[in-house]
Formats: sequence, structure tokens, C-alpha cells
Amino acid sequence: MTGEALRSDALRKVYATRGAPPVEALAGVSMEVRPGERVALLGRNGAGKTTFLRIASTLLRPTSGTIEVFGHDAARAPDKVRPYIAVVPQEGKPFFHLTPREQIYTYLRARGLGRETAKARTEEALGRMGLLDFADRLAITLSGGQRQRTMVATVVATQAPLLFLDEPTIGMDPFARRAVWESFRTLTTRGSTILLTTHYLDEAEALSHRLYIIESGRVLRSGTAEELKRSVGGTLKVTLSGGNGLAESFRSFGSVMDDGEQVTVIVNPERLSELMDLALRSRVSATVGPVTLEEAFLRVVGRSINED
Amino acid sequence: MRTEAARRPSPFRGFRAFFWTEVLVQAHENLAMATSMVVQGVLLVFVWILDPSLIGVALLGAILFSMFTMGQRVLNEAAYIRIDHKANDLYLAGPLAPEAYFLGMSVGILVVYLSPVVILWILAAFVVHFTVVLVLLLLGVSAVVWISAASIGYVFSTFFRDNRAIWAYASLFFNVFGVLPPVFYPFDRFPTALQPVALVMPPSAAAALVQHAIGATPLAPGQIALAATSLVVEASAIFLFAIYWARRTVQGA
Repeated sequence: MTGEALRSDALRKVYATRGAPPVEALAGVSMEVRPGERVALLGRNGAGKTTFLRIASTLLRPTSGTIEVFGHDAARAPDKVRPYIAVVPQEGKPFFHLTPREQIYTYLRARGLGRETAKARTEEALGRMGLLDFADRLAITLSGGQRQRTMVATVVATQAPLLFLDEPTIGMDPFARRAVWESFRTLTTRGSTILLTTHYLDEAEALSHRLYIIESGRVLRSGTAEELKRSVGGTLKVTLSGGNGLAESFRSFGSVMDDGEQVTVIVNPERLSELMDLALRSRVSATVGPVTLEEAFLRVVGRSINED
Repeated sequence: MRTEAARRPSPFRGFRAFFWTEVLVQAHENLAMATSMVVQGVLLVFVWILDPSLIGVALLGAILFSMFTMGQRVLNEAAYIRIDHKANDLYLAGPLAPEAYFLGMSVGILVVYLSPVVILWILAAFVVHFTVVLVLLLLGVSAVVWISAASIGYVFSTFFRDNRAIWAYASLFFNVFGVLPPVFYPFDRFPTALQPVALVMPPSAAAALVQHAIGATPLAPGQIALAATSLVVEASAIFLFAIYWARRTVQGA
């Protein structure tokens, strides 16, 4: 295995639906993921993230374009790709009538691991995910978050070279999410690669070396979280409230978003004092903070929607 | 880069482990094992009340019907795992061979649900004179009926996106083809014009052969040939198609 862990070129997927016009879920996605990287796909619901993940994980054929995993064609030679990958499916659930310990162990055995290795990795994954207290309870008796942790633990235990994680921490509490993040970091330190989707932008920022923003089946922007935040025209976010026509008054300072109650302005530090003076004179309240990845995402995707 | 499975893929890779997974999952459903005998049990009671002389035929039919309805369990399980749990993605996007996934599930269900069938065998032994030939024939046709049904069940499961629809269609399909034809009652009481149809449907073809073997309904040589040939040919064709389909549908057929 050489080169990228994953590389796609002009990947398209069109779903033909009976009695309805075809839906183009991917409209030419090109991306690459290097070994050892953690990369996040961000996008609105229906943007094409899951479709991309399903094609990359050999669960769906593309309409056109190419996609390779460790140099093997994921569409035409899925058998060569599958030994290298593991997947947490979106909204996936463990078998309700297995315990987390049974679920992880039998899954590892089904992947071809020996008894001892499977046992050791099962215990390690249970410990890492904080599942030891529930390890021998049937999954049907677990909470949604505990079941999701079981799914993630199952896949993490494979230590597969490339992991596809579709919204892996959905439904988890903040402590569990951090434990999961830590296990992902450990995995990549050991040489695995992770491609994940998430709607939690703090998670994307905390976890990912690089991000791809996808909208309507196209890659709108890619780069590090810092690069994406810088790309929206400033590094500071000023939130203004308490006045009328604020959006128009402050538009000259930078990118403005008006949600009806508050106006946020993205501004560079050198113009901040000028903006604050105007806010003071206009008797509006102003709060300053750093631009978050969420701000950047909203602006990048929002701009694309407006252009469409 | 480590990988546990950079070896040559085998169509049975992971079969044993997935089989045990399915056994573990199914074994937790004790009530389901009991309820798997409800239809057979009710029909046996009816036969016992209406014409006790036919109870032997009905018991042998119940064994074959039980093997046939294993297909319904495969259908329900495959669809449940795929639609409700999305766990098929977890398993199939990995080294487990799609064929092993289908076979592991089917054999796992077979093993767990065999225990009620064994009870039917024991009951049948009290009223039917079991010869070696009959035992071998019953085992053989049971296996063939199971292969057909499990294969049909798995293939059907891939056509649905909603479990509610599956419950209705699966129940309709397996009960209509398992109960209406002469499986629980003598073949010669089925309308003559429809008898050739019964001889090409797995459960009734198997039942006709078994009934012939115990002397309950003698068949003409042509009928025996038709029943035996259709059983073997259909089971082989459906099974091979299911194996092909299991692989084909991984990437969204």
C-alpha cells in the first residue's frame, strides 16, 4: 500500500427514483485523505456526505468518476478494499440481543481475528469507551448513547487502516464524546486513518486535521479549521443587538448575517475599534469573540445557497 | 500497515463467526421459538379433531412447513438487520464475505429453530413407521425445502425498505405456499387440475414425496419425477441466485 489512504476524482452519484426526476447526490467530488489523517466531511443534511462515505466504503456504486482506497478501486474491486476498512453506519445500532462484549467480540471474529486478539481488543475497546459497567447487559437495555458507544467501540476495536464514521458521536453526552475523540486520536497515532461526518462543528474542529465542506454534492471548500475560519473575511465575530437596521449600518465592516434578533459581523482586528465606536454611538450592545468554525461553515454554505 | 485480512478473499470468510453471532442473537428470543410452532400446532389440533387418521400426514407436513417458514425468519431477520439496525453495513463493509453473511444468518436461524422441529419428529415417530429410507427422504427434502426458503427469504429481504410491508408480504407468501397446497393434508385431496402446480412448489412437492413414501398418497412415476426434479432444480437455482444476489446487493443493486 502506497500513496493516499483515499483518493476520489470527479465522483458522481445520481439516484434514479421511479416516478421522480433523478437526484444528483454527488456532482464530481474530488478529494484525498493521507494515511494517519483525521478528515471531516461537513455539510447540511442531504449534501452528499453519507453517499460519499457509502461509495468509499464499497456499499454503493458511483455513477461515474473514480475512488481508490489504498490504491484499490473501491467501486470495481471492493473485495480488495474491504479488509482495510471498517464503518460506523449512520443511525446504526448493535444487535439488541447481544451484550456490548458479545457484539464487539463476535464482530472481530467475523472479520477474521483470532480468539485471543479479539478478546484483548474487545476488553481494550470496552475500557476506552467507558462501557465496562454495561459490558454484559443486553444492548436492548442500554441507553441510546451507550448503544452508539457500543457501535463505535466495535469499529474502533478493529484497528482497521481506514475507518469511515458517519456521525459517530450522535446522541452521546459530552464526556462520552471526549472519550471517543481520544480513542480516535489514539487510533491515528497508531497509523489508522479516519474519515468522518459530523454536524457537531466543535467535534470537527477538535478532531480533524482537515475538513471538506460539501454542499449539493460538491466540495465547496477544504482545508484546516483555521484556514476555513480565515477564509470568511476576518478572525473576529461581533454580535450586535438592540437596534434597527443594524445590518445595513455595519455592512461596510465585513460579512454580515442577520437572524432577525441579532446581527453578526465578521471583522478583522484592525477595524474592531472603529466598529465598536459605531456600536457605542448607535447605543447597541456588542459582544466580541473569535470566529468559530460554525460561523465559517454557515457563511461558506450560506453564500453557496444564495448564489444558487 | 497492519490488516487482519490481506489474504485472498474466500466466499465463506467469516461464516463461522457470523453463524455464532446469529445463534447468540436468536437464542435470546425464547418466545419466538415457541411461537414458531403456532400455525403448525393449530393445524395439527384441527386435523386431530377432524380426522385423527391423518395426523401422521399432518405431522410430516408440519415438519416440512417448519423448514419452509425458516425462510420467513431469514427474510425478517435480514430486513430487520438492514433496515432497523443498519448493521449489515457494519458487517459487509469489512472482510466478512457477503455469501458468509447470508449463509451464517440462515444456518444460525436453522440451528436455533430446529429444536421445535425435533419435537415434531418425536411426535411423528409415535404415529408414523419410520424406516431408514423414510428418515433419509425426510431429512433430504427438509434440507432442500430449507435451502429454497432461506434463499427466497434473503433475496426478498433486499427488495423492501419498510419492515411493516415485509411483515405483511412475508406472512402472506410463506403461509399461502405452505398451508394452502397439500402439505398438511393428502396430496390426492388437492384438485386434480392443480396437482402439477403443487408438485413444482417446494413444500408441497416435498410433502407429496413423503406421503408417497409412507403410502398415504401413491404417486405415479411421472409425478415422483416431477416433484423430485423440481425440488432439486429449484433449490439449486434459487440458492445459486441468492449467493450471487448476496454479493451483488452489497453495493446497492
